[in-house]
Amino acid sequence: MPKILMKGNEAIAEAALRAGATNYFCYPITPQTEVAEYLARRMPEVGGVFLQAESEVAVGNILFGAAATGKRVFTSSSSPGISLMQEAISYIAGAQLPCVIVNIMRGGPGLGGILPAQSDYFQAVKGGGHGDYRLLVLAPSSIQEAVDLTMLSFYLADKYRNPVMVIGDGMIGQMMEPVEFPENYKEPPLPPKDWACTGAKDREPHIIKSLFLDPIALEENSLILHRKYEQMKTEEVRCELYKTSPKNKILIVSYGTMARICQTAIDELEAEGISVGLFRPISLFPYPEKELYTEVVRKNIEKVLVIEMSIGQMVEDVERIVKGARPIQFFGRTGGVVPSPEEAKEQIKLLLKKETIAKPRKKKKA
Amino acid sequence: MTPVPDRFPKPSFSKSIITIVGGYGSGKSEVAVNLAKHLIHSQPEPVALADLDIVNPYFRSRETVRELTALGVTALVPPGDQIYAELPIIIPEIKTAIEKKEGKVILDVGGDDTGARVLSSLSDAFEPGNYELLLVLNASRPFTADLAGCRAMIDEIEAASRMKFTGIISNTHLMDDTSTGLVLEGLNLARAVSEKTGLPVVFLSATIDIIDNLNPREVTLPVLPLDRSLLKPWERRKKTSGTE
Repeated sequence: MPKILMKGNEAIAEAALRAGATNYFCYPITPQTEVAEYLARRMPEVGGVFLQAESEVAVGNILFGAAATGKRVFTSSSSPGISLMQEAISYIAGAQLPCVIVNIMRGGPGLGGILPAQSDYFQAVKGGGHGDYRLLVLAPSSIQEAVDLTMLSFYLADKYRNPVMVIGDGMIGQMMEPVEFPENYKEPPLPPKDWACTGAKDREPHIIKSLFLDPIALEENSLILHRKYEQMKTEEVRCELYKTSPKNKILIVSYGTMARICQTAIDELEAEGISVGLFRPISLFPYPEKELYTEVVRKNIEKVLVIEMSIGQMVEDVERIVKGARPIQFFGRTGGVVPSPEEAKEQIKLLLKKETIAKPRKKKKA
Repeated sequence: MTPVPDRFPKPSFSKSIITIVGGYGSGKSEVAVNLAKHLIHSQPEPVALADLDIVNPYFRSRETVRELTALGVTALVPPGDQIYAELPIIIPEIKTAIEKKEGKVILDVGGDDTGARVLSSLSDAFEPGNYELLLVLNASRPFTADLAGCRAMIDEIEAASRMKFTGIISNTHLMDDTSTGLVLEGLNLARAVSEKTGLPVVFLSATIDIIDNLNPREVTLPVLPLDRSLLKPWERRKKTSGTE
């Protein structure tokens, strides 16, 4: 299939259809409304369900009910709308149902603005709703990657019977890039959905719930979830390196389209003779912990620079992983202000000027 | 070798009001901004650009206000922080400009029939038969990749805007993946649409590197060079040595 030019929101919608997700529930909000517009046009063509609910609160609960049938279901929204869905997302995770939630982030808090931001990292990665649960969170940095990760997210949701979130700043939703859809898309085999509510004729009814009054049973449910999250940590970690080298003193950590701005800065600094690398987490949960630790500590980076479109959220994970082994500097703009390549370059140059910390000597092998 | 721009005639208009419409992502705003920059240089009349995009939140011609104003183009955009809204804000100066018809007024309209609906509220300001309503055509977009899709787009936009098209702009591209072949395929589609509808292909628009490869014997229509100005935050403006 030849490449076509698509807006991120349209590409995400088409990717979901091609992954067999034909049940979409939504409430419009900028900057992701084109997902709904596109599917309002496409769903009737594929015999799927397109439903605009009365609010995002309703969308969350419709997702719960529809996911219980075992069909592939999804929604998309932007920051304030995702906040409204948090109660239902916690229920969906508690009831071990698969679904995909796309968050095209805008500036917050509150109603905020409509320009791109990455300030829902905490909400996506650290919970959002109540209880001991996690979302598997994937962060594309291009429209092609948004397509690939959206398709993958439905497989992962089914594999773990857990909600998966595809998270992108407003740019991912709004920008246009050439994309290609895979021909003959195939997934690895999945276990049968023998838990789904499909009509209890000639069998015991399936009951899907997140209510466990017996504390031991509730703890057991949380432990089941916990084991899934531990499995994700070994099987679903994704990240990308850009121009990393043992000669580098500084490593940038950045995700989503912010990472592409950093790449421009890195390329232009390279032309000035300054070599800097980039670590880009693609899965935000599970975070590529070992990979980051290796790049920073094992490879003798002197300083880490975290750049985000937020006032500082992912940086807390980087600090947790590096555990004080190296100094970590943060730079971010928020509210819809996008850091420029110039700002990134300035931060890097400032860090290089500051007194460098001597590299710890490598221990000689005995 | 002759400088690129001189190898092809540039677009020129006898009419005052030039309305740019088309599907989402066809490149309307980039065409509108570059047309404004071309007209301010190439003819003596004043040039205004009105951003009538009420459907897109990002990548709108209003982002180039500073650049256009510096060149002497009047930018008609919502005041204050309303410039950031995706609300249906139509400032009164736009209707006045359409009625007065002073100099050249370029109207950059939002995508699809949804975006073109804004024109229906202004359509009584247009003097019948005395405006251009130009369809920007990008054959790399999913809904305008063939003749049937383009005709549907034309019908939908005409119904929503309550106006009739007067011409086509061939603007097929795939951002940085654009090839000369792709641009020529897009031109063929535009010509096919022209044959079916009777609407002329008014001009072709493309970036300088593509125009470099076009053959004036093959492309026998005016060409508008595009110096992309609605860039992603990590993109850099290409050096355009050939422009005026």
